[in-house]
Amino acid sequence: MNITTQNTGDGILIQVEGRIDTTNYNEFESAVNEVLKDDVKQIYLDCNGLNYISSSGLRIFLTVQKKMMAVGGKLKLFAMQPAIKEIFDISGFSSIFSIYPDMDAAKQG
Amino acid sequence: MKRNSLSFKIISRILLSCLMLGLVIFSVYYYYTRTTIERTTRENAIFLAENTIKKIEEVIKPSEMIPNNLAWIIETGSIHNDSIFSFLSKLVKNNPSIYASAIAFEPHLIPDGQKYYAPYAYRNGDKIETMILGSADYNYFIMDWYQIPATLKQPYWSEPYYDEGGGGALMSTYSVPFFMNKNGQRILGGIITIDISLKWLTEIVNSVKIFETGYAFLISRNGVYVTHPNQSQIMNETIFTKAKELNEPKMREIGRDMIKGNSKLTSLYLKNKGDVWIYYTQLPSTKWSLAVVYPDNEMYASLHKLNIIVFLLSLAGLTILVFFTISIINRLISPLTKFAKSARVIAQGNFNTELPQIETNDEMKELHDSFEFMQKELANYIVNLKETTSAKEKIESELRIAKEIQMGMIPHIFPPFPNLPEIDLFASLESAKEVGGDLYDFFLVDEYRLCFAIGDVSGKGIPASLFMAVTRTLLRSVADKNKSTAEIVSSINKTLSFNNESNMFVTFFLGILDIRNGELKYCNAGHNPPVLIKNKQGADYFKITKAIPVGLFEEFVYTEESIFIETDDQIFLYTDGLTEAENVNNELFGDDQLIEVLRKNAVSSPKLLIKETMKEVSRHVNGYIQSDDLTMMSIIYNGRNSEK
Repeated sequence: MNITTQNTGDGILIQVEGRIDTTNYNEFESAVNEVLKDDVKQIYLDCNGLNYISSSGLRIFLTVQKKMMAVGGKLKLFAMQPAIKEIFDISGFSSIFSIYPDMDAAKQG
Repeated sequence: MKRNSLSFKIISRILLSCLMLGLVIFSVYYYYTRTTIERTTRENAIFLAENTIKKIEEVIKPSEMIPNNLAWIIETGSIHNDSIFSFLSKLVKNNPSIYASAIAFEPHLIPDGQKYYAPYAYRNGDKIETMILGSADYNYFIMDWYQIPATLKQPYWSEPYYDEGGGGALMSTYSVPFFMNKNGQRILGGIITIDISLKWLTEIVNSVKIFETGYAFLISRNGVYVTHPNQSQIMNETIFTKAKELNEPKMREIGRDMIKGNSKLTSLYLKNKGDVWIYYTQLPSTKWSLAVVYPDNEMYASLHKLNIIVFLLSLAGLTILVFFTISIINRLISPLTKFAKSARVIAQGNFNTELPQIETNDEMKELHDSFEFMQKELANYIVNLKETTSAKEKIESELRIAKEIQMGMIPHIFPPFPNLPEIDLFASLESAKEVGGDLYDFFLVDEYRLCFAIGDVSGKGIPASLFMAVTRTLLRSVADKNKSTAEIVSSINKTLSFNNESNMFVTFFLGILDIRNGELKYCNAGHNPPVLIKNKQGADYFKITKAIPVGLFEEFVYTEESIFIETDDQIFLYTDGLTEAENVNNELFGDDQLIEVLRKNAVSSPKLLIKETMKEVSRHVNGYIQSDDLTMMSIIYNGRNSEK
């Protein structure tokens, strides 16, 4: 798993590559918590490189979603691969998260 | 000393390098010494020869003076005929080196018309006798001693000869011509001779010694041996007859060169003596040639002696070196052997074993300290390990108990409802760790209705197992015949979501099957869609309204759906541990493969179906570590009219 973060002006862009599973979800969690420390209003999560996510990973997505909702911010996921999108669909998470086809759509949405 | 021991290695290397160094030094030393010996021997031989020549000349020169002076006296006419005899007698008497002396006159100087006149004085014992030489029998004019100097008009040393009259001594005659003025012309007056014994010459030449057998010899102008250590050769042989006898052409060449009066240092191989060096030079007065001979091998005798001494000294030195090296190395490395022993003892678990005492402050001391450190660390480590192990054992035993408790929470008696032939059910749960977050459950809410559920808590291990236990407990306490599946799920969701700081959630599928008519009411909270196997053939996923897992949002509204299933239909439920079972290449078992397996085994009973599916999954995973809890549950509806 590889995580990079960068400031986009209106928020933070997190790019995650590889797998988020039970062996490394805490790495992802601490990386995300680092971003959440600052008072950030928008988090763009680029899922293009994400090819597997376990329920432990989903839990972190939920945590971020809840935290963002609590401070009136938004978590926007985009460029999700079909297999990941399916997991989100099956679990009903698609209805909880804002999912966009790409970064532009995410910015406008 | 063992061949592979450290000291053997060190000593053999030291010895080898010493030997090589010694060999180089010795070679250089040998070469220079040899060259020096050759040079000094050569110089010495030349010096000896020259010195001998000088000694001989010192004797000859004064003797030559006598007839020379005599010639002058006669030429000036200072001697009368009457006093010639007494003069000669005194001359012989006063010069011990002179054996005899004569004055031989030319006929024109002889009165009374005589042809010969040669007064002669010689030693006879202690007395000096006189006589007149010359007669028809002894025509001195044709004798070498007379003729040659008379012809050459200069002094002449005769070839050596044995004088019978002179006591058999080896003699040589020195002849000096004298001249007279007659009618204004300078004409030969006669020859003055002295006979000199060559005994002293032999002594001088024989005193020359080089090394053991080196010697000097003298040859005359004809190559006759005048002196030689081998007496028999003197006067009997010439260098040429000897060369012929020994068949040595080089010797003949040397003889010729000697006669020519040259000086030279050269080497020569003689069959009876081996390689010899010879230096020869001419005696200026007599024109004889002196040679100094020394054998090549004797020249290096001293060097060889020295070599033996050097060799013995080196041997002794090396022996001492080896002895000292062995004792030093043994003293240095003896602690190593002890350390090795200590290490074995330590390895056996005795960490407090005594280490060898090291007095020095060197690497051995470092090793000692390291060993000591290792002992302490090992002891600490073992203490920690014991503590950790016991703690771990405690946790493991607790986990085992927890697993038993958890497994006790889910029904695992199959077939569960032997009195209900309408349904058959089988389920299995395998946790990735001791305890897991998967759950399944089934129970009858009333006489005809089977409530069944499958769920998967996010994450795994102890946190997931706690959440699972709560969920299972909630299900049992909430579910009753009057509630719809959506109501039960919503109720569970509400309780779980309340104060759920950890954001853990459960994907949950709850179904209630009416065994009278096959009506299946269900609510899916984000769980993987179950598979419906219709009439023991074909298998397809349920089409399910999307809803989020329970435990996330208190107010989320779950909805109930309903279908009718028919006789021989089978509902297969599972957690994502099945579809996401991975092999070593991270390839998932997958939804498609699951459907394929289920279709292939569509006729199987729930138990067999689950067994076969498990087999397929095991084949796919191929021994790779199980990463997630894996739960399956399958329910077949045998229909209302099935036999009891």
